[in-house]
Order: sequence, then C-alpha cells, then structure tokens
Amino acid sequence: MNGQAWLLLFEGAWTTLWISATAIAIGVVLGLAIALVRMAKVPFVDQLLVLYISLARATPLVTFVLFLFLSAPTFGINMNRNTAAIVAMTLNTAAFNAEIWRAAFLSFSREQKEAALACGMTSGVFFRRIMLPQMITTSLPGLVNEMSFLIKGSPAIAVIGIVDLTRVTNRIAAVTYDPLPPILAAALLYMLIISALLKLQAMAEKKANRLAM
Amino acid sequence: MSEHTHASDVPAVSIKKMSKSFGDIEVLRDIDLVVNKGEVVSVLGSSGSGKSTMLRCINWLEEPDRGTIHIAGQRIGVNEHAGRKMTGKELATVRAKTGMVFQGFNLWPHLSVIQNVMEAPIYVKGMPKEQARAIAIELLEKVGLADKHNAFPFTLSGGQKQRVAIARALAMSPEVILFDEPTSALDPERVGEVLTVMKNLSAEGYTMIVVTHEMEFARAVSDQVVFLEKGLIIEKAPPAQFFTNPKTERVRKFLEISA
Ligand SMILES: Nc1ncnc2c1ncn2[C@@H]1O[C@H](COP(=O)(O)OP(=O)(O)O)[C@@H](O)[C@H]1O
Ligand SMILES: [Mg+2]
Repeated sequence: MNGQAWLLLFEGAWTTLWISATAIAIGVVLGLAIALVRMAKVPFVDQLLVLYISLARATPLVTFVLFLFLSAPTFGINMNRNTAAIVAMTLNTAAFNAEIWRAAFLSFSREQKEAALACGMTSGVFFRRIMLPQMITTSLPGLVNEMSFLIKGSPAIAVIGIVDLTRVTNRIAAVTYDPLPPILAAALLYMLIISALLKLQAMAEKKANRLAM
Repeated sequence: MSEHTHASDVPAVSIKKMSKSFGDIEVLRDIDLVVNKGEVVSVLGSSGSGKSTMLRCINWLEEPDRGTIHIAGQRIGVNEHAGRKMTGKELATVRAKTGMVFQGFNLWPHLSVIQNVMEAPIYVKGMPKEQARAIAIELLEKVGLADKHNAFPFTLSGGQKQRVAIARALAMSPEVILFDEPTSALDPERVGEVLTVMKNLSAEGYTMIVVTHEMEFARAVSDQVVFLEKGLIIEKAPPAQFFTNPKTERVRKFLEISA
C-alpha cells in the first residue's frame, strides 16, 4: 500500500469514527432521557417508547439506514447521507442504551434515596449528585459494549453510499488489485478503536467495585 | 424574629394524634409525643410494633394519614399558609432540620467518607466547600474517624460506617436526630463504639429519638422511654420508672425477656 492508499484508509477511518462518535454521544443521552421518561410510566407515551425500542432492537442497522434514507423524502424531509446515517445509528443505539439505563434505574437502592431525602435533598439534587454518578459507573460497561457493537455494525452505512473504513478498502483494492493489505489495515484500525473503548470499560469496572457494598 | 427568640421554648418535635395505615392495617394509632430540645427519647417495642414507621413519619419518609407533626415549631408535610400539601422543595427544607441514622447505614458508596459528610451541607444548604470540609473534619474527629477521610465506605467496618452516618447527620446541625436501630446490623463487638458516640452526643445536648433494643443504653441515656405495642404508645415514662416499675403487664413481660 502506498501513501495515497493510507490516506484514503485514514479518511475512511475518520468517517467511521466521527459518524459513530456523534451517534454514540447523542444515543447515550437520548437513551437516558428515554429511560427517565419510561420511569414516569406515562400511559400511551410509555407504550409508544416500548414499541420504538422493540422495533429498533429487532431491525438490522443496515435495513434501518436504508429505510430511513429512502423514506425521508416521502415525508418531505431532506436528509443528506451523513445525517441519515447518524440519525439511524442514533435511533438504533439509543434503544439499546435506554434498556441499559433503565436496568440501572430499577436496581438502584431505595435506601440511598431515603438517606438523601432525610438530610434535605430534593429529588433533583439526589438524582444529580447521588444517583446519576452511580448509574454512570454501573451502566458504563454495558454502554461501552453497545458502543463497540455500533462501531462494528457501522459498515452498514455504506449501503447509502458513505465511504467508511470498510467501504474504502474496496476502493483501494480496485486500484491496487491487492485486496488483502487494506482489509488487514482496516481490521487493525477497528481493533485500535475498540481496544480504546475496552480500556474505558476496564476503568469503569474498577470504579464500580467500590459501589458493591 | 420571634420564632428565634422563643426557639428554646418550642419542642424539637411535637407529634399530635398521628395515625398511619398500610392498606387495611393500622400500623400507628393516635401517637402523641413531645420531645423537648436536648432530650433523648428511646423507643422500645417488639418487631412489627410500628417503631420504624413512627420514626419515618416524623421526617415524612412515610406520609401519615392523620395528625400533625412539628419540627422545631414548623409543621412538616402540610403548608399551612397555602392550605395544601408541601411541594418536594418545601418538604426538603423541613427535612433539612432533621437527621436520620438507619439500621443499614445507607452511606453513598461513590463518595469518600468526608464527601459523604460534606454533601448535604454543600448541596442542600449551599455552604462553601471549605467551610463544609472544616465542619466534616471536626465531626469525623468527634466520631473517632479522623484517619478515614479519604476511605470509601466499602472499606469500612459496620461500626465505622455507622459513625460516618452519624457524622453525616450531624453535619446539617439538625434539630433532632432520628436513629432507627443504629446498632442492630452490627457485629456484637462493634456495638459499643457506636453507642459511645451516641452517649457523647446526648451529653452534648443533641436531641435524639432512638429506636433501639439496647436496654442499657435506653436506661442510662434516655429522658423518656416510649413503648410501642401494635401501633399504640402503651407506656411513656422516665427510664427510672419505666425499667423498675412498669405500669403494664406487657412491658413487664418485655423487660423480662430482654433482660
Ligand atoms: N411500606 C410498607 N408497606 C406495607 N406494610 C408495611 C410497610 N412498612 C411497614 N409495614 C408494616 O407495618 C408494621 C410496622 O412495621 P415497622 O414500623 O417496620 O415496625 P418495627 O420497626 O417496630 O419493627 C409491620 O407489620 C410491617 O409489616
Ligand atoms: Mg424497624
């Protein structure tokens, strides 16, 4: 592989990285918001969210990306490829994240809340200072897991013409007639990204140990 | 202003005609109790008699069905000016005047010992961090944990955790501290260190309501002993009278078994 090929590869890696990172960042927060709303058990809204979560979790990402990109214009929405990819990946990952956050909500001890209320904290202060930090720590392993699934599923966005880290290897091979080196290089880059995430996960798990009293 | 000048006349806690049911079961009936400033009240009674529920109604962790509770003269749970239930925020303001120590400690595991103590002064009272830290250092010294500031709860023994919980309650300078069986979850050899701290607090003039099975503590430290039986206060007396000359057969039996 020559310098030109490496440049293309890094461009593909960058595309994968920034689209995934954007979807992850929004998806984590959106998942938390969905879990929060679900805890309030508002009739109808709750059923709607359950429906969304089961649909999003059951649909392959590649199908979802394609559907969103092709159907948007019929709803009068003008979406470029990147936006469609981000929206699809966000809606996909948020559904999984919502379940992870929800499990953290449900398993949170009532005793800690009572201790917080008893010394005069409002529910808001309790959530911000006591519950959320612990929920982040306990959910992080699951969230990071989901992040790496999303990144590994991200080649799906090539279906609407985005040249991501996997797709770009085809292009390089088309010029060099040697498909193996770019594929190997891409695999290496995926591994680098995922191992950075796993590092984060290990740190979170270490921190989580102190929560087990 | 007048509230402040007469503060010492107002009881720390005043409960009138308080009742509470869970479903069809009446757990507390017509509880009347006045706890003056500086007093220690021990609450005795067999398991299931309603002791925890009584304590938890005082700071509105449980909402009583009837009756009134005043903390240092302020009604809790009901906004009397507006004639409605208190909002969460109003409730929090009154609760900030009480402290509670739980059987299971209920420390916040993600915070270090000193952070557990500083948390409420900072985020409830809005106290500057440095001031909260100074107070926490003093209180941890008082409960004998000056060397544990930066430890996390999971590294502590039960007795140490409970002393952190006491320091956490003290940090808000509460009008009254509610103890719900503070030594029941401890290994026997750890009970003494917590009771010693509580005795010291009583000597310092803290107002405390203590649900306990520690008869020696109740006898030595209390100003009043209250006995609950099936949600009723069937006896209320100074310890000298309660332990030597109980009025009811029920308490006589209870003391025999506990002795
Ligand atoms: N949240 C609750 N829901 C239903 N019943 C409860 C609840 N809390 C307590 N009880 C019942 O109320 C009675 C008194 O309980 P409690 O106040 O915990 O007694 P004690 O602290 O004296 O052991 C018991 O019969 C208990 O089962
Ligand atoms: Mg109890």
